[in-house]
Amino acid sequence: MARDPQAAARRDERAWVRRAQAGSASDFEALFRAHWGPAYRAAYLVVRDAAAAEDIAQEGFIAAVRALDRFDRRRPFGPWLHRIVVNRAIDWARARALRPEAEEVDAAAPERPERDDELLAELERLSPEHRAVIVLRYLLEYTPGEIAELLELPRGTVNSRLRRGLDSLKERLE
Amino acid sequence: MRFEAPGEREAGERAWAVVRRAYAEREPVAWPRRHARPLIAGALVAAAVAAALSPPGRSVVRELRESVGIEHAQPALFSLPAPGQLLVTSRQGAWLVQPDGSKRLLGRYRDASFSPFGRFVVATRANELVALDTKGEVRWTLARPTPRSPVWTGTRTDTRIDYLSAGQRRRVAGDGTGDHAVGPATVRGRPLRPGGPRIRVRRGQSEVLVGGRVVFRGTGVFDQAVRSPDKRWVLVSWPTANQWVFVRLQPRKIVGVARIAQQFGRDARVTGWCCA
Repeated sequence: MARDPQAAARRDERAWVRRAQAGSASDFEALFRAHWGPAYRAAYLVVRDAAAAEDIAQEGFIAAVRALDRFDRRRPFGPWLHRIVVNRAIDWARARALRPEAEEVDAAAPERPERDDELLAELERLSPEHRAVIVLRYLLEYTPGEIAELLELPRGTVNSRLRRGLDSLKERLE
Repeated sequence: MRFEAPGEREAGERAWAVVRRAYAEREPVAWPRRHARPLIAGALVAAAVAAALSPPGRSVVRELRESVGIEHAQPALFSLPAPGQLLVTSRQGAWLVQPDGSKRLLGRYRDASFSPFGRFVVATRANELVALDTKGEVRWTLARPTPRSPVWTGTRTDTRIDYLSAGQRRRVAGDGTGDHAVGPATVRGRPLRPGGPRIRVRRGQSEVLVGGRVVFRGTGVFDQAVRSPDKRWVLVSWPTANQWVFVRLQPRKIVGVARIAQQFGRDARVTGWCCA
């Protein structure tokens, strides 16, 4: 009988959460290792700053530790974590947009250069809200309905942000 | 979309070190513990009553109180009661604590101090003065023998860092340029700010005073009393009880946080509470 890999992954995750709640550090580590990459990438694509992305994803996991005992094991862990991470990343990106870098006068060293390519550069030109839905849809592969639930937005708003974000990217890349 | 973010693996290892510690320090609510709690509480009450009944018991009660600190202390620092960030140094290094209680080990630094607006931190390690942003990213370093006691002062457009090194008091600009000696390294206590909190010991008890009024009192030793940026709270560091106590001045409120050494490492000291 063919084994459904997604169902198996969900079972693994439920087992990790259950055992982590009971105090198993190795199971908590398995949970961390499985989710660090997607969480960090999502945060990075929204904020486009590696240090900030690290901080945001780390805070997401710290929040997960704090809420671990109350976590409902019947629900998947990933969306819950991504909701925290992406919302924090949007907040961070909005705050940065309001705070010109020129104000950083306490120290003068420039930001380190980061790897880039055309698509990522264009993604950065979108607003944090548009960037977030594109990252959730095409990096983390959530459906528009799931994104609406994660970000507590009407489904129509998610669809329109996706449409506008993609149109804008297409226009710039053509 | 297939994509790997820069530094993903290294960032994961750094984050795991912090997250693992947070996990190790959490207090899981498990069934056996829920049932055990009333039994433990009952045993403690019985022990305390028995101790208090005899004259030598008074000293036992006192020692117990010194080691316990205030009752109902939170097992971890879940959030700061006032806006701003805390900068803490311990044997583990320098920590930055966010208002939501999340904390980040900036690195294995000894002394640390906020820049005037809290956007950067200056810290010291064996033979280096280091300027970092609040994410722990190093902005610049300056190699000097055994630097210590850095203090970052100035205005938004002109900042400077004073520190001690090799018997000299030295000064460097906030961007790491123009380092020079300004005199001999005389160790001076920080001047008391008018109306700022101070600690005294009276009749065997430690007291914290603000504006001449006692705002908190306890047995054992208070190490520090630090005012919040909005001036409404005082953080009292109570190493003999392994606690921090946040005291709101008006209206009065007390929030205790236990297990400070377990959360930050031994000899944890608050070196700044900055900038709401």
